[in-house]
Amino acid sequence: MAANQQQGRYLTLFWISITVLCAGIAIFATALGKLVLLAGLAGTIGSLLGFIKIKRLEGEAAALPTSPILKLAGILVTWLGWLVAVVGLHITSSVGGRMTFALAGIAISLYGIIGVLTTAFGKKAVGRI
Amino acid sequence: MKRFRRCGAFFSLALVLALSSGAASPLSAATIPAADAQLKAAVAAAPSTAVQAAGDPGGATTGTINDVPVSDAKAGVTVSDVANQVGQNKIAINFVWTLITGFLVMFMQAGFAMVEAGLCRVKNANHTYMMNFFVYTCGLFAYWLLGFAIQMGGAAGNGNLGGLQPLASEHTVKIFGATWGLFGGAGMFLSGHTYDVGVMVIFLFEMVFMDTALTIVTGACAERWKFLAFTVSSLFMGALTYPLFGNWAWGGGWLAQLGANLGLGKGYCDFAGSGVVHAVGGVSALAVAMIIGPRIGKFNKDGSANAILGHDISAVLIGCFILAFGWFGFNPGSTLGASAAGNLRIGTIAVDTMLAGCTGTIGAILYMWLMRGKPDASMSGNGLLAGLVAITAPSGFVSPINSCIIGLVAGLLVCFSVSFVENVMKIDDPVGAVSVHGTCGLWGVLSVGLFADGTSNYGGSWNGVTGSVTGLFYGDPGQLVAQLIGIATLIGVIFTITMLINLGIEFFIGQRTSAEAELAGLDIPEMGQLGYPEFALRTEVQAAVA
Repeated sequence: MAANQQQGRYLTLFWISITVLCAGIAIFATALGKLVLLAGLAGTIGSLLGFIKIKRLEGEAAALPTSPILKLAGILVTWLGWLVAVVGLHITSSVGGRMTFALAGIAISLYGIIGVLTTAFGKKAVGRI
Repeated sequence: MKRFRRCGAFFSLALVLALSSGAASPLSAATIPAADAQLKAAVAAAPSTAVQAAGDPGGATTGTINDVPVSDAKAGVTVSDVANQVGQNKIAINFVWTLITGFLVMFMQAGFAMVEAGLCRVKNANHTYMMNFFVYTCGLFAYWLLGFAIQMGGAAGNGNLGGLQPLASEHTVKIFGATWGLFGGAGMFLSGHTYDVGVMVIFLFEMVFMDTALTIVTGACAERWKFLAFTVSSLFMGALTYPLFGNWAWGGGWLAQLGANLGLGKGYCDFAGSGVVHAVGGVSALAVAMIIGPRIGKFNKDGSANAILGHDISAVLIGCFILAFGWFGFNPGSTLGASAAGNLRIGTIAVDTMLAGCTGTIGAILYMWLMRGKPDASMSGNGLLAGLVAITAPSGFVSPINSCIIGLVAGLLVCFSVSFVENVMKIDDPVGAVSVHGTCGLWGVLSVGLFADGTSNYGGSWNGVTGSVTGLFYGDPGQLVAQLIGIATLIGVIFTITMLINLGIEFFIGQRTSAEAELAGLDIPEMGQLGYPEFALRTEVQAAVA
């Protein structure tokens, strides 16, 4: 089905809604701002529901089998690497110690991406498209 | 007339020196009336209207003391009038510099469009060009709505652009006894008190940098990214992901404060954006490319990769030159001025940029020639870009020799990285965006911590820490730690945020086009028109048989 008028309609709603939502955030201190924010939020949610509705009409995409649990694990491991690097700044005050924690954190994050997430997204799928 | 201009110039110089000397009372009560009297004499001696009406082919009578705006017409020109004009001239020079270099960076969009489309197949040309065209609109709009406020809302204090005082709203958190900036809050819609001449200049400059990051993702996801999903993804990146890291590095946020708060060098330093722009773009590209998956026919059942050739190498190489030209705005423009505060280093920055691009090309072209037997055109273009990407962060802090080293390493690194991403990670990246911008962007960030030589002087401090940016090889290992924390943040936070947002887009919209559309080429299904309507397209099956 590809690009079509329904996509255009929901994208227009999405675009207007996020603009209204941001206007609400900008003037949030006022009573009007809160109303505007709610209106923008409602429109955004409406557009997202519209996207879901038309998504199934768009034909089958060529996709590899993926593992949701491995995806979540990979994302967590990747983020954990950053946490290790940052916490290390407060555990030790020596430059060498902080450098060690930073390198370890980067290594953990890279493992999360290269080791876990690539597998989660079908790196080893048989019959790769 | 020449004597008059020399006297006037000497007097102005003496006045400026006196005012800038920091003396408690540079002009005594006795000297001020004398100065004003000299000014009045200068006005009297200035060319009259009748003289100027005779024409000025040599420029000797145009631009005189009569062009200095006066605050009191009855009193005439005074010392304070002249001092105010000197200050305004400094800001005007910096405004013009920043705006013109920003215009150059905007033009890089054309370069990216040509490189990416050239490396894709004919049947996707319209779609690829359109992604690079429309990303400008999506990014600019999202940045105007929200992104600029998040990134620069707390960036007040820039002396080059008049202070930017309206941008004084940074949301902070107090951890372990220190205050850390998280995101800004002033500047949504550029309205209210941020409707300000200085704010407009910094908005334009930062916006074109943001758009560079967004366009990187389109390259990695070309030939199978649904146009609707690309649009929504770009809006989120322009409004949230990019501005967040941009605030942490450039907008008064916590990464920049690592020096002031923890004594790590001058905090995370990224002169023009190897990290903020290119690595953000590169890791985001990696995240989205993982979600989307490889193009049909890219990988075989045994995991081996097939080369899918682009349709126009001339567009690729011309696009690379457009990018190289635009990079003269990217790096030298990041001084945000050409007057005062060490900004005369703009020539050094420009030369450093050229040299890194040069050695990046050398590294890539020689590698390919040695290993594959041919000077591969597309990898040569990627080598140029790799060098330019890598020098972007250190360009304000390193010497020409170090620039050459940084560029050469980037040129070799991009070749290894392209092979690694494709053959080990099994990620399909049609244009090498992940390697050029992600890998080499991270190398650029690291380079600051190694090669910054401590000779730059941008107003005596950087990120609020007195002194010049200095790397490990010149005596400051703390700077390297700050850069490593920046790298950890790019990989551990920006990548994961992008992945989460785009998994959400996958859920609501679906990132990838249908297999049918992908095989036919995205131009007709997604855009409604072929990029080259008079070409007779040959399918992959026909090509294989031939």
